[in-house]
Amino acid sequence: MTLTAILLVAAALIGIGLYGTLSQQSFVMLMMGLELMLNGVLLAAVGFWSLAAGGVPTGQLLAIVTMAVMAVEMSVGFALITAVYRNRQADMTESLGTMKH
Amino acid sequence: MSVVDDMAFWIFALTAIVSGWRVFCTDSMVRASFLLLASFIAVGLIMLLLGAPYLGIATIFMMGVEMMVMALFMVMYMMNPAGLNPMVMVHQHRFSIGAGIAAFVGLAAVMLVTDFADNPVASDARVVTDLGKELLGDSMLIFETAGVTLLATMVASVILSSRSGRFGPADEGSVPPPLEPGGQPAGRLPEEGGGHGHHHH
Amino acid sequence: MTPIVLTMTWVAFLLGMAWYIAVLDGLWAAAREGRQPRAPLANPLYRCATILRQQSNLTEAPDLLNWRLAPALYAGLAGTGVALVPFSSASVLADLEVGIVWWGAVEALTVVVVFLHGWSANSQLGLIGAYRYVAIGLPVMLISMFVLIAAALPAESLAVPKIIESQHELWNVIRQPLGLPLFLLLGLSLSFRGPFNYADSADLADGTASEISGAARLVWEFARLAMLVATAAMAATVFLGGYLGPVLPGPLWLLLKTAVVLVLLVALSHLFARISPSRMLTLIWIVLMPLAFIDLVWAGLVAL
Repeated sequence: MTLTAILLVAAALIGIGLYGTLSQQSFVMLMMGLELMLNGVLLAAVGFWSLAAGGVPTGQLLAIVTMAVMAVEMSVGFALITAVYRNRQADMTESLGTMKH
Repeated sequence: MSVVDDMAFWIFALTAIVSGWRVFCTDSMVRASFLLLASFIAVGLIMLLLGAPYLGIATIFMMGVEMMVMALFMVMYMMNPAGLNPMVMVHQHRFSIGAGIAAFVGLAAVMLVTDFADNPVASDARVVTDLGKELLGDSMLIFETAGVTLLATMVASVILSSRSGRFGPADEGSVPPPLEPGGQPAGRLPEEGGGHGHHHH
Repeated sequence: MTPIVLTMTWVAFLLGMAWYIAVLDGLWAAAREGRQPRAPLANPLYRCATILRQQSNLTEAPDLLNWRLAPALYAGLAGTGVALVPFSSASVLADLEVGIVWWGAVEALTVVVVFLHGWSANSQLGLIGAYRYVAIGLPVMLISMFVLIAAALPAESLAVPKIIESQHELWNVIRQPLGLPLFLLLGLSLSFRGPFNYADSADLADGTASEISGAARLVWEFARLAMLVATAAMAATVFLGGYLGPVLPGPLWLLLKTAVVLVLLVALSHLFARISPSRMLTLIWIVLMPLAFIDLVWAGLVAL
């Protein structure tokens, strides 16, 4: 369990998450992609904290902040989905085309 | 690092990656949410191996709740609620695969050419106490900012998702999207000025 | 205690207490109907045998993996919950630095598992039960977490043994009087009993369990009892001083306190009627949640 191995796993999670974020049509699935990317970020942060930074407390703080970001992303994301659904009765990114020209 | 720890790490790592990938392959939205939860639990367990008990268990705890809520929203808003019909809902698929691979390769390359410090956390470090002292000590401003941000998020979420707005009801005149581009709206159409006057609420 | 003795104590505690709840339930039902209880002590075992002899059921296109796994996972979560409880000052199966957080994870995953159980059977009643349960289970879980954080305050630690140590002079039930009643509601909610039985209630023909029989049903019913045992043991530990007590040895004190809490829980589950989910939600968010906040502020002021 070296730092390289952990970062490799984190990079894979970020890569898959990016794929999901870009490819999914459903807003909720898109958010799952974002969550997966943040999952990778969380793992990388804790990996650095544990194996390269000698356990400085601020490393753990970074992970806590990442979790807060996740919570904000979820909450605002679902609120937006609800707003879109009220307006378009669909949970599809394609249903939002009014800003296109 | 013992052999058992190493094996456990690779098992958790594989679980995290494979279930993370399966999230975007499954037909069922509920399965997708819980596969993502499996990925998070595996990462939480890796954190335990890395000597971060609070963060690891808090991740499992938080993600359990988040993914439960995710599954509910999935079922609520999807056209294919239980996810029992096969379906593919993707766009710009090739580009996305490319971007995902590029991100992975790029990050991996940066990581492989960088020389990271080798400074593991001491085995007798009181990490949970440290974290608590940091959160409510030197970094209190950051922690409190996160708290206030979460409060602002709650207010914003309620405003965004409420039905009544400044410009009338949010769902006024909304119709379902067509099944084909440019077609008729899907589903039942609202009755046009029906003479019955029955309103079931 | 050596690890083997400890593990055996843990198993015996789970099984024994689950049997005890089943006996209490049987006695209560007999008393309510005004009849003499028939073989009250052996009755739970007869029921086990009856369930095991049933044919196991299969619905149309279930999510078989999750459906089969859910009862086992539920029982496993109850087991890990009990593992957090110290039997005496030196004997605890899972001596975690962050035991309270782990208990929170057990609660959160329980909600997930119960939802999975109802959803994966691919039947309407199960899904309705699962949906109702999530709506009620999540806020009740939040309440219990606030209450537990309050209990961790005087101990200045998230470890369960430390929380017991902090109760040498004064039990938390007196120091934070709101804590225990709110936590008992969690017990009813986690094992969906009485007023909090939104998952497996009679109006849904057993809800999430409506489609299971045979071994799966036995595990599910046992898991419900085991989860009640886990919450009661946790309540006895966090609010009633756990193994602390004069004269008698520690494990016996824990046993006694858990038994008393279980009587309370069984009484609550039989005495109170269930209200409609929407009214229960209002009650939880408008009344109980602020009470949990008051408990937390109270604990903070006392700790100052």
